[in-house]
Amino acid sequence: MSVTKKDEKLALQVKGLKKTYNDGKVKALKGIDLEIKSGQFFGLLGPNGAGKSTLIHTIMGLAKPTSGSASVFGADVVDDYQAARTYAGFSPQDINLDWFLTVEQTLDFHGGYYGMTKKERAKRIDELLKVFSLTEKKKSRAMFLSGGMKRRTVIARALMHRPKFLILDEPTAGVDVELRRDLWKYVQEINKQGTTILLTTHYIEEAEELCDQIALINDGKILKVGTVSELKKAFKVKTLEDVYLKATGDKQETPV
Amino acid sequence: MSRGEWIGFYSLLRRECYRFLSIPRQTVAGPLLETFLYISVFGAALGSRIDQIHGVSYVVFIIPGLLLMSMIMNSYANNSSSLFQQKMMHAIDDQLASPVSNYSLLVAYTVAGLLRALIIVTIAFATASLMVHLPMEHLWIFVLGLTLSGLFFASIGVLVGLISTTFDQISSYQTFVLQPLIFLGGVFYSVALLPEPFKTLTHFDPIFYMINTVRYGMLGHSDVNPYWSLLAITVATIAIITINAHLFKRGYKLRS
Repeated sequence: MSVTKKDEKLALQVKGLKKTYNDGKVKALKGIDLEIKSGQFFGLLGPNGAGKSTLIHTIMGLAKPTSGSASVFGADVVDDYQAARTYAGFSPQDINLDWFLTVEQTLDFHGGYYGMTKKERAKRIDELLKVFSLTEKKKSRAMFLSGGMKRRTVIARALMHRPKFLILDEPTAGVDVELRRDLWKYVQEINKQGTTILLTTHYIEEAEELCDQIALINDGKILKVGTVSELKKAFKVKTLEDVYLKATGDKQETPV
Repeated sequence: MSRGEWIGFYSLLRRECYRFLSIPRQTVAGPLLETFLYISVFGAALGSRIDQIHGVSYVVFIIPGLLLMSMIMNSYANNSSSLFQQKMMHAIDDQLASPVSNYSLLVAYTVAGLLRALIIVTIAFATASLMVHLPMEHLWIFVLGLTLSGLFFASIGVLVGLISTTFDQISSYQTFVLQPLIFLGGVFYSVALLPEPFKTLTHFDPIFYMINTVRYGMLGHSDVNPYWSLLAITVATIAIITINAHLFKRGYKLRS
């Protein structure tokens, strides 16, 4: 795949991104501006329906932007989509595995879509099966996996092609403590090695512990971006949870 | 096309072929049995009481039409159900978020159904030729007629899989559109035997021309000019592929 390198400093640059549905009646994104620097562990917090998944889907090409632009490491997600999608890896909120494929096949086909050779795929599959304790389940079809195993497979799949920019959309929703611990250990490790992480989560304490920069999003708009301490200071509260409640709560009080 | 893009396309095609090859009883053996039941019942049992048609026994007369029917049904069924299934599971998102191009996606989904149909028709043809002597007057017209008709309905399958929102819609097209058109297109009889207005009405059935092209290729007899029919099938196939290419490029019902 052709990969153009234009701006190594910004992992993600979003400018005036708008997304509407139903002929403009539903405004999911109302002009998002966002920058994530290379190597950051970035959190995106907001209530359900705030626009987090729409923003991520637009970056990954699952939704088409109505106006504005987004680029991953300088590659525009529309005009240079092959490069943008090669840089990015995406673990979606909802499990979207092919029920009839085994764990091993899921990873193998995914690697193939990204142009990895058979040898590269086999080596990477072995690594990921070990990291996510999936080796024993590698021949199991997705439909027979437990919820936790499915989640592990989805995250392993996102990492299969060694993305420079990893998007984790609610990766720990409904998963056990063991996976949560293993996942964060591994993600922090690859973050230290240079992988940029974009995390959306409803667990405020996770965001507080892991993210070095956080954006608050609600009603299709970015409300505030900063470090945890900057946000606390800006909202004049003591905890990130209070920041979140104040930011999103204020919005809810706004008449519709 | 770069090496990575080839691997991407090949992976898509490999996954599609794996899908039908992993359930051979449903996707290969079942349709083969159906074809042989038609040959046995209509050809051998009933056919022994029917005079020759255009100088060949009834069983030989119906075989080109039966092969075409198998080609149409299997290429359509494979692609419509596979694409629809991928959409319903959201498993297609993994392909849509990858660097593979829209055209690679379209070609892989289209060709997979055609390959499945070609496998079934080749086995059916080989086995039928062991049972009865099958002439072959114009091999290239026979092969081209079958393949183009298969490609046309493989593309129709992709289109229906794309636009459908329920399984009911997919089977409805098959039951209420395809099957009547195939049966009334002259698989089991020559249009010359029909009284008016049915003789004229049959000329409005596109499958009538496909059957006659394939029949001309094998038996050397056709109710219509086979070259004009071949041209019409080619034009129709190009038209449907163009429509599909446009819809895939737009991301119609694939990307929100």
